[in-house]
Amino acid sequence: MPRTRGSGGPDIIFRSMPSPRRRTAPLVAFLAAIAVTVVAGQATPLPNKPGSLKFAAIGDNGTGDTPQYDVARQMVTAHATFGFDLVIMLGDNMYGGQSPQDFVQKFEKPYAELLAAGVKFQASLGNHDRPENVSYKFYNMGGQRYYTYARNNVRFFVIDSTQVDPKQLEWLEGALRDAKEDWKIPYFHHPLYSDAARHGSSVDLRVLLEPLFTKYGVNVVFSGHDHVYERIKPQKGIYYFVSGSAGQLRKGNMRPDDETAAYFDQDQSFMLVEVAGDDMFFQVISRTGKTVDSGVIHRQAKG
Amino acid sequence: MADETTGRRRRMWGAAVPRLSLFAVEHLLLLPLGAVIALVWANTGPESYFRFSYTAAFVVNDVAMVFFFGLMTKEVVQATAPGGVLHPWRRALLPVIASIGVTLVPTLIHTYLVAPLDEPMLASAWPVTFATDVAVAYFTARLVFGKHHSAIPFVILLAISCDAIGFVVIGIYNPTHDRHLAVGLLILAAAMSVASGLRRARLKSFWPYVLGPGAISWFAHYWSGLHPALALVPIIPFLPHAARDPGFFVDASPGSRDTLSRFELYFRYPAQMALFFFGLVNAGVQFGALEEGTWALPVAVLVGKPVGILFGAGLAVVAGLHLPQRIGWRDLVTIGFMAAVGFSVGLFFSTALLPPGQLRSEINMGVMLSLVGLPLALMVSWALGVGRFAPKPVP
Repeated sequence: MPRTRGSGGPDIIFRSMPSPRRRTAPLVAFLAAIAVTVVAGQATPLPNKPGSLKFAAIGDNGTGDTPQYDVARQMVTAHATFGFDLVIMLGDNMYGGQSPQDFVQKFEKPYAELLAAGVKFQASLGNHDRPENVSYKFYNMGGQRYYTYARNNVRFFVIDSTQVDPKQLEWLEGALRDAKEDWKIPYFHHPLYSDAARHGSSVDLRVLLEPLFTKYGVNVVFSGHDHVYERIKPQKGIYYFVSGSAGQLRKGNMRPDDETAAYFDQDQSFMLVEVAGDDMFFQVISRTGKTVDSGVIHRQAKG
Repeated sequence: MADETTGRRRRMWGAAVPRLSLFAVEHLLLLPLGAVIALVWANTGPESYFRFSYTAAFVVNDVAMVFFFGLMTKEVVQATAPGGVLHPWRRALLPVIASIGVTLVPTLIHTYLVAPLDEPMLASAWPVTFATDVAVAYFTARLVFGKHHSAIPFVILLAISCDAIGFVVIGIYNPTHDRHLAVGLLILAAAMSVASGLRRARLKSFWPYVLGPGAISWFAHYWSGLHPALALVPIIPFLPHAARDPGFFVDASPGSRDTLSRFELYFRYPAQMALFFFGLVNAGVQFGALEEGTWALPVAVLVGKPVGILFGAGLAVVAGLHLPQRIGWRDLVTIGFMAAVGFSVGLFFSTALLPPGQLRSEINMGVMLSLVGLPLALMVSWALGVGRFAPKPVP
């Protein structure tokens, strides 16, 4: 039985109260969350609705070792029933050597079936990546350290958290301000909140980024860096996930506290996410295929 | 008997520990004090620390530090006067050539090391390896060689040359800043012209220099993307100064009438406060941010500078120059360790080059770890029998 701690989906529902315009939504989402919690570990807790945005999230994956390949196989298995066409990469996409052969061994081979199926990877870089990797074609970064793109009703903001310069902050503020999509989801390598012992929260970045996130109504943030899976209770109305164990693992490294909603630090894992209208469903799958966390987030009302 | 022994010991220590200017002493104490407080604060109350740090960064790094670098420039300008270590300029030739090795070798080691340490992004911080803390190097050299040894001017010149190369490099190379060098340099030229005019007009007060061309120079630096803390560096040479150099890191006497000494007397304490706050604002690093790559910089400078000085001085000797009297190859190795300590200048280069984030945290910590160069220099000089540790000739 995988070791999972913390509250499940319903807790999230209570914390993500919707706008007054849709007063029935909490009840609907609550029931949905109960449903996904009941089926967790048995079948996909994701509704797999036609037309919804489906994506996977991996972080700290590029080791080229067996666990990375195991996680990749679980991703392929999941893809067969849950047809995601996007993978967001949370940095440290490549460890050690970063020659063309390494890109084959640590990226193109493990994810070959997904690439062949037309799944698009959109990378952010971590501290172990080479800066020139922004030009690697399968990372789809367009040669940029930071960039934004939209899918369905979601806008993603890919941030270079290794160097948060004023120019990037200015760009981010403009991009957040101009975003018209319902969901605003930044992702980057260093977590603003983390209860893992090795690194923990990057408070230097939190002080810079969080005011922008709260000001412009960011809904959910994904990061890696700590080699565990971690779901943080909403901080200033924003949901934070750490998913940094799609290749690396720091077993038993979590030191959960009051802000930890759920975690898994016993094996590698990756995330599946589905955004359907005002709901974001998520499922965390371990290297052995077990669901170790799942739930649904209702889109927060933003002022 | 015991009192006599204690007294002798005191006299020995008194002779060994050099009497430096208050400016240098306070430099050696206040910056580390600020850095230690910052480290404790960043790891016990990180949110409040970083809020303070980001709020104060502009005022401290870009404005207050102008006066610290102004005073450092004053030391260099005075050293060009008769009796100074830079007088005549020819004396600087050998240390300048040696500084090529002292900057080149650590940079190459650093750039190589970051890959096996698995943090290739740190390679962009290579100019930080150039930094040498002039005050620390001078203090260590005085401890090892004594006041009148020919190694003292050599160390000072080497440190100034390494830092000067670093300032030029970070002026040109900066991966995250936009540059408007052409316009900025034009404005800077205008500022220097105004300063030259003030000097020709025989103005004695330093205020017109600081508030006129100093302010224009600050704007020129800011506009061009160069670091505005260096605003007074091109202006200070225009301030009238005494005919003879009173000595490196020797305080101006309160009765001094020349413009440069008056500038020093007025800005000494504000500059020291700036230095304390510079340590406080910039040295705070969360220990959780550090990874193996943090070691790249201290290893690069602690290995690379002693090797680099041998390489650079070797080049100079091959080119036909001679090592200064009483300086041999073993002395050079010791001086390499003295030059390895980047501290104030290293932190300055790091914050000028790197925006907030993991790279800056790791490089700042690496710069602080380079302080190990000071005890290492003492240990190596003892092991190699250099300076005051040289075997006494048998009578």
